[in-house]
Amino acid sequence: MKRSYLGEFEEIVLLTVAVMEGGAYGVAITHEISEQTGRAVRLNQVHAALERLEDKGMLKSEMGEPTAERGGRRKRLFTVTAYGRRTLQEIQEVRVSFWARLLNPFKPATSL
Amino acid sequence: MKPPHLADRLLKFFCAPGRLEEVQGDLHEEFQYQLRQVGERRARERYWWDVLGFILSFALKRKSIEYSTTHLTNPTMIQNYFKIAWRNLWRKKAFSVINIAGLAVGLATCLLIVLFVQDELSYDRYNANADRIFRMTLQGSIGGKELDIAYAPAPAGPAIQHDYPGVEAFTRLEEQGTFVIKYGNERFKEERVVFTDSSFFTIFSIPLLKGNRLTVLTEPNTVVLTQSTARKYFGTQNPVGKSLTMGTMGLFRVTGVCQDVPSNSHFHYDFFGSYRSLHAREKWMSSGANTYFLLRKDYSIDKLAAQSPQIVRKYLGPEVQEFLGMSYDEYLRKGDRFEFQFQPITDLHLKSDREGELEPNSDEKYVYIFSAIAVFILLLACINFMNLSTAGSANRAKEVGIRKVLGSVQQQLIRQFLAESLLITFLALLVACGLVIAVLPTFNQLATKTFGLDTLLNVRMITYTLAGCLVVGLLAGSYPAFFLSSFKPVSVLKGKLASGVRSGWLRNTLVTIQFVVSIGMIIGTLVVHQQLRFIQNKKVGFDKEQVLILHDTYVLGNKLNAFKAELAKQSQVASVSLAGYLPAGNSNSGFDGVRDVNAPAETSPYRLKTYRIDEQYLPTLGIRLALGRNFSKAFSGDSAAVLVNEATVRQFGWKNPIGQRIATVGDGSPGDRHTYTVVGVIRDFHFESMHQHIAPLIMVYGGDGYQLALRIRTENLPAFLKTVEQKWKAETDNPFSYSFLSERFNRMYESEQRIGELFGIFAGLAVFIACLGLFGLAAFTTLQRTKEIGVRKVLGASVASIVALLSKDFLRLVFVAILIATPIGWYAMKEWLADFAYRIDLEWWVFGLAGLLAVAVALLTVSFQSIKAALVNPVRSLRSE
Repeated sequence: MKRSYLGEFEEIVLLTVAVMEGGAYGVAITHEISEQTGRAVRLNQVHAALERLEDKGMLKSEMGEPTAERGGRRKRLFTVTAYGRRTLQEIQEVRVSFWARLLNPFKPATSL
Repeated sequence: MKPPHLADRLLKFFCAPGRLEEVQGDLHEEFQYQLRQVGERRARERYWWDVLGFILSFALKRKSIEYSTTHLTNPTMIQNYFKIAWRNLWRKKAFSVINIAGLAVGLATCLLIVLFVQDELSYDRYNANADRIFRMTLQGSIGGKELDIAYAPAPAGPAIQHDYPGVEAFTRLEEQGTFVIKYGNERFKEERVVFTDSSFFTIFSIPLLKGNRLTVLTEPNTVVLTQSTARKYFGTQNPVGKSLTMGTMGLFRVTGVCQDVPSNSHFHYDFFGSYRSLHAREKWMSSGANTYFLLRKDYSIDKLAAQSPQIVRKYLGPEVQEFLGMSYDEYLRKGDRFEFQFQPITDLHLKSDREGELEPNSDEKYVYIFSAIAVFILLLACINFMNLSTAGSANRAKEVGIRKVLGSVQQQLIRQFLAESLLITFLALLVACGLVIAVLPTFNQLATKTFGLDTLLNVRMITYTLAGCLVVGLLAGSYPAFFLSSFKPVSVLKGKLASGVRSGWLRNTLVTIQFVVSIGMIIGTLVVHQQLRFIQNKKVGFDKEQVLILHDTYVLGNKLNAFKAELAKQSQVASVSLAGYLPAGNSNSGFDGVRDVNAPAETSPYRLKTYRIDEQYLPTLGIRLALGRNFSKAFSGDSAAVLVNEATVRQFGWKNPIGQRIATVGDGSPGDRHTYTVVGVIRDFHFESMHQHIAPLIMVYGGDGYQLALRIRTENLPAFLKTVEQKWKAETDNPFSYSFLSERFNRMYESEQRIGELFGIFAGLAVFIACLGLFGLAAFTTLQRTKEIGVRKVLGASVASIVALLSKDFLRLVFVAILIATPIGWYAMKEWLADFAYRIDLEWWVFGLAGLLAVAVALLTVSFQSIKAALVNPVRSLRSE
């Protein structure tokens, strides 16, 4: 199986875009990630990741509507491409198969 | 509420234009969000932080994503630059040779001059405490005659150290003439003997190899030798504890051996006798020694210098009464004065030219002149390079066009041309190093220095040289680089050249500058030589030919008179005289205060130079009497008689000089005061160098056996010298040495002669470099005009008219250069001549000759090319189109 390698952060960004269904753009994605994961994510990291994903063909984008708080500038709205969706599925499958082979699944640690 | 403006500007600058809208939009939206969440201040901070984050990620990304390009440091490209440069040099061998030769000569000259200047500036800096060592000097005037003396009264050192606690130590240096020094069978005449205080080796950083630094010179009749002198007398033996006989001063015990005095010191001695070996002198006004002080770290010399009036009043004041016959206040009222000054030791070599210097010092002026010459010559070579490169640009224009079409940017072309000029410069440096090594011995002789290869090959010198070459290469290469790389490919490839290539006003200016420098230096050379010839041929007032001087005849003691009588009997000898005092070369010298006894009012005495001579002195030296008579054995009262020169007569304002009476002050003791009657007036003669006007001089009867002067009349000089030497050897086993008065006279102007020679050489080099450039330039222009010449010849032009056509442009530049160089040269040489009391007038023909020479040389250079071009058969030049 040959596909583009996805970093952990890229995977999260790709997933977030998929979750947000058409409303995904820089600031919104950043806020969503930091709410869901609790990490301090920075705007430029998200932008960089979005750009890389678009280069790899897993995302596509189009310009949206301008808003007042953006000083009249348009958003770039991202959607996941078919290739992006397939990649996410493959990752998921690989992980599931590994979890399934785990003979002794982790138990919550018990204090003795 | 708006986000920070500056951050936005920054972002705009770095961000790719296509992405600016979304990025900035997101940033603004985030800013508004943060504004609500955390307040304005934190929001602004965060905004900045985010912008910086973006900028950083753009910068990082740019590198990884953009297509690869060549960078300044890309080794492949640098290699390529030098490869292309090398090919270009190789293809145009003649021009490369001209370029490299010009630069090499320039660089070699520069290197030598840098060596010289660096050495001049390093004088006396070998002393660890150089910044705290000062020499005390005496300024003032007596009877209106200015005093400017390098030494201070002998008692001044101890007195000032005693009075001023800021003075840490003092030392005095006093010479006592030459000595014949004996140890066993070794016997040498030594000139570099000095007597000094025990603190000498504390103040001056001349390390002692043997003996205790503090005690070596504390006792009378002790001496410290330099290493090489110790070897000369004692070989491998340990000299400490042995005794030397020093002339008439008796036995001296060697107490120490020191390293040789460094060459960059303002004194060079081989023997340091203890100061206590000399008899003590208490009088301030009749004693002198070069006196040096070492100050304490926190004590400034200004404080000591400010005390000068108090020192003068306390110590000299009482002696003024005694020597000059008036109180100190009266003395001051007459407009006379005394003052002590303190010179930093590092200034002595270049800035001090006083009476009684230990050695003739150099002059700051020459350091400046030579530095300027170095810069000029290098400038000439750089100009050559620039001229030839821009002139050759017609040939490189196509290359530049093609390179640009293939995607070279201007930056790369600039780098390529700079690489070319650096290559040439460093090749030139190699040649220059060879040249320097070849001419170093000659240069040493001219500059009286002792540079070895080690002075050239130290880390500092090499670093400076390499750095200097880099600068020269970049400087010389920068104009061609920017000029050539700015060609527009479209017009160049169409065959149209930028208008600058042909007209080249800059090139004309540069050629003019070259010739201004060359002509200026030719003028300098001519004037210096003329002045030297003038000095050497000027009637000096005595006959310096055919006078033989025998040195150190005092060693004969009471046999001297017999020896003299014997010489006088020789048929080759016209007359013999005791000649301790001579107008040229080694001579005793004495001053005395002299007062006119019959003057109506009591005046302060004049300080006049005094000779002691015998009755043979005037005929032997060929000095003529204006009035009265010479000394004579026939007159018993001649010990109270005096001869004066015409300047003295003018000084005292005598109408009828014969019979006037003068009184001398002597060393202040009553026994040393004499009254003399003038019996004769001698014609003025130059007893000092031509730098000074003829001063008053008095001659008293006595004679001084320090040396003998012989007026000789012989064709067979070697045989005569042999006879004299045999007679000398019969009397004494001291070394026999002699000189000729004319030689000694010429040696007085040695430094001027050296300057003259160096000027001549540098002028020659300047002209050579300028001609190289002109030659190359002429070659290029004729090459460019090959077709034009062909057409002209077909239409009937003569060879002469074509040569004239081609030479005209260059000659015009040379004429402009003459116009500019003449006033500059006139002014500079006037300043130089101002140093001489007796000097030539600057005549117009000097400038005419310099100009003519320049024109001739330029014409010769250009015509070689133009005649060649004019003789070419037009068929050849018009064959292909």
